[in-house]
Amino acid sequence: MTAAISPLEPFVDPTADHRVDRHVWAQTMAMSKRSVIAIIRQPALVVPSLVFPLFFAALGSSSFSRATGLPGFPKVDSFLALTLAASVIQGVLFGSTNGGAALAVDIENGFFDRLLASPTSRISILVGSLAGSSLFGAAQALFFTIVMMIFGVHLYGGIVGLLVIVVAGALIGLSIGAFLAAMALRTGSAEAVQGVFPLLFITLFFSSAFFPRETMRGVYRTIADINPVSHLYEGMRDLVIDGLSAGAVAKSLLIPIAIGFVSIPIALSQLRRRLKAL
Amino acid sequence: MKRDDYPIFAEGLVRHFGDVKAVDGVDLQVEHGEMFGFLGPNGAGKSTTVRMLTTLLRPTAGIARVAGFDVVTQADDVRRSIGVALQDAAIDPLMTGSELLALQAVLYGIPKSKVKQRGDELLERVGLTGAAGRRVGTYSGGMRRRLDLALSLIHQPSVLFLDEPTTGLDPMSRLALWEEVRRLNAEGTTVLLTTQYLEEADQLADRIAIIDHGHIVRQGVPRDLKAQVGAPTLVIEVPPDQVEAAQAVLLRFGELRTTAEGTLGVGLTDGAEAVSAVVRALDEAQLRMQHLELNEPSLDDVFAEATGYRLEGEGSANLPEAQGDDAPVNGDKPKRSRRGRR
Amino acid sequence: MTASVLANAPSTRTTLFGASFGLMKRGLQRILRLPSAFFPALAMPIFQSIAFSGTFFAITKIPGFPTDRSINWFMPLGACMGSAFSGVGLGFALIGDIETGFFDRLRMAPAPRNALILGPLLTAWFRTVLVVTAVLVVGFILGARLTGGVLGLLTLYVASLGIATMATGWGLGLAFRFRDMRGAAVMQLGLFVSIFLSSAQTPLNVMQGWLHAVARFNPITNVLRLARQGFVGELTWSGSWGGLVAIAVMGALLLVFARRGLDALDK
Repeated sequence: MTAAISPLEPFVDPTADHRVDRHVWAQTMAMSKRSVIAIIRQPALVVPSLVFPLFFAALGSSSFSRATGLPGFPKVDSFLALTLAASVIQGVLFGSTNGGAALAVDIENGFFDRLLASPTSRISILVGSLAGSSLFGAAQALFFTIVMMIFGVHLYGGIVGLLVIVVAGALIGLSIGAFLAAMALRTGSAEAVQGVFPLLFITLFFSSAFFPRETMRGVYRTIADINPVSHLYEGMRDLVIDGLSAGAVAKSLLIPIAIGFVSIPIALSQLRRRLKAL
Repeated sequence: MKRDDYPIFAEGLVRHFGDVKAVDGVDLQVEHGEMFGFLGPNGAGKSTTVRMLTTLLRPTAGIARVAGFDVVTQADDVRRSIGVALQDAAIDPLMTGSELLALQAVLYGIPKSKVKQRGDELLERVGLTGAAGRRVGTYSGGMRRRLDLALSLIHQPSVLFLDEPTTGLDPMSRLALWEEVRRLNAEGTTVLLTTQYLEEADQLADRIAIIDHGHIVRQGVPRDLKAQVGAPTLVIEVPPDQVEAAQAVLLRFGELRTTAEGTLGVGLTDGAEAVSAVVRALDEAQLRMQHLELNEPSLDDVFAEATGYRLEGEGSANLPEAQGDDAPVNGDKPKRSRRGRR
Repeated sequence: MTASVLANAPSTRTTLFGASFGLMKRGLQRILRLPSAFFPALAMPIFQSIAFSGTFFAITKIPGFPTDRSINWFMPLGACMGSAFSGVGLGFALIGDIETGFFDRLRMAPAPRNALILGPLLTAWFRTVLVVTAVLVVGFILGARLTGGVLGLLTLYVASLGIATMATGWGLGLAFRFRDMRGAAVMQLGLFVSIFLSSAQTPLNVMQGWLHAVARFNPITNVLRLARQGFVGELTWSGSWGGLVAIAVMGALLLVFARRGLDALDK
């Protein structure tokens, strides 16, 4: 039996299929590692997405602590408990622009071409970028949860709830990161990718991430009702304030997965488009 | 002459950036109507000196007076008297040429009634009338330099500073700018021009100063500086059977020098003026001269003799391995050269 | 060669206002020619007013909240934030001028040095008036109600111009010191933090904990009180004087900060 030989891997023994797969896997791991190292080595890019959500959470808990008694608010120990999920979503949304921007910078400065000129599997380039966003999303979720717990938030969902929140952070990073990667591949411009940031901000605001939907009115309420971010937030919030439930777990995980089902094919199609243009 | 009699006077001018001595004791006396060239490699201290003389940087020590005013205590008076075109054409790409000139006119206190006319005058002078209504961002490099020059002339300054005005320009644009600078100088404007191009200094300057590592190492008229380095070499070609006789004639005028195969060379003790005498002597000896050329010592020879390395070509101070980026721009702290100073 | 138009013309000194207006004119040209730089400064406060008043609609139900309309509470905040970013935008533009060398040309002109501060400030004020007017129009469409009469509009404009003045001083001062885009990040961060550590989201009597302790002393709280006067009650001197003093003192301090930064460029 002969294996199909990738023209990119002339030194692979054609009788050994598994070596082709291992090579692609190694490349993907290497690209992912690069993506993660880039995040670690640029604290100036990373710190705002860690600090700002906490700043807003602190502001909110002081400004709106008396609002928790209003009709429409869920029963909570403190306003801070409501902000944990919002901080995770906020932080991951803002942080994932860095991954997309990094891919765009690779395109702008020619490193992307260098990768294409090498026997690097095309898919590993995209997967590597998304791996960085995803891992960072998970790290952010863990970070925010630990900080909030230090400040007195009780996680009623326990260890499993924590795990679900961390996985949700990873999935949000992956799915939103894919949209931004698609933007980077389409435009090749870091500025254009950063320009998406206000749209993410708007999406977050027109949701229940800051105040419950039940307290809103009119068009605003309608938008918040149909905004998937509202439901994602509520799933994660309920893991904190109510405990583990099938509904909360489903919302926390299935919504980012569903977003991913849309965003990842878009990113792949943009990758194909860019490769075709060569 | 007293120091105020000079349009540009500097004594012991020093500028330090932390431990880096970008300018370390510069003395200058530029005469009225003179075109003075300031020659040196990147990082020598040329731009730093110009920035001090044009009030953009305070000297660490020393005195500098421009147009009779002290650059530190009478900075406004200095600014009113000078025009400056810096290393990078300092323009706003969103404005049109006319608008930039109008803004400059307002900043220099030109009466409102004269602003447009003065702008039109200068645009015509630098050949940009047709592009006046276009945004400067659409101009070519040469056009931007010309506009930059026009901006520096808005108030008819008596002293003009040009900091590497032709760096990055194509040959035609360079020649055009040289023409304009010569014209300005002929009209009486004192010009201090910094450059790293030997030909530019040679072509334009009445006197030059060579600066290296923050010091002036040579100063004078280019011709005299070159003569100090050595006698010019006269190279001739004669038929092979006349070589010995020609050598005997040439020996009367100086030392024989090694030249390209098939030619004879002599270092003229009396300089270029001796060429006619040599030709006459060869003629009287009935020797047939097939080719003649005179090679003067170049400014690069002057530079090499003063500093130990060349400004252009092999072993050049302007090749990457010889550059030390010590001179800051915009008042930044200078970058330390990883290679260290030579 | 024909004689120049300047031949025999008396030499004149550049006046502070002449030079400042010249620089302001340039600033206004940039608004028209680079709308993409100005558009966020216009869109952001409008968005903010809408988003905050929609998201935090329910806080008007908190006992002690001074108005029953969230748009009345958040629209002046949007106007002030827009004014702040209008001021800081001049800092961004200055960084661009420093990086291209154009600012050296301005520095070499014999115009009074203060023109290099006043010119951008005048531009910031003009931008502020545009932004505040746009926010007001949108606010009134969304149901904002003027409770303090026409003077209430005046206090909003005065507060916004005051914030723009502070932000301009802050932005220019940082631009002179950083001379590159790192300054832009610090400008925005400083502004954002100082505005939100005030009564931006809730009034002092509603907030609790550490924020109350900070906001009480934050001069921005007084300025926001001045800005909101026309929309949350009646105009009173006690509600106004604190903001006016804050504007005068902070504005002066930050403009001196800017001027010192300009002087440091020569050193």
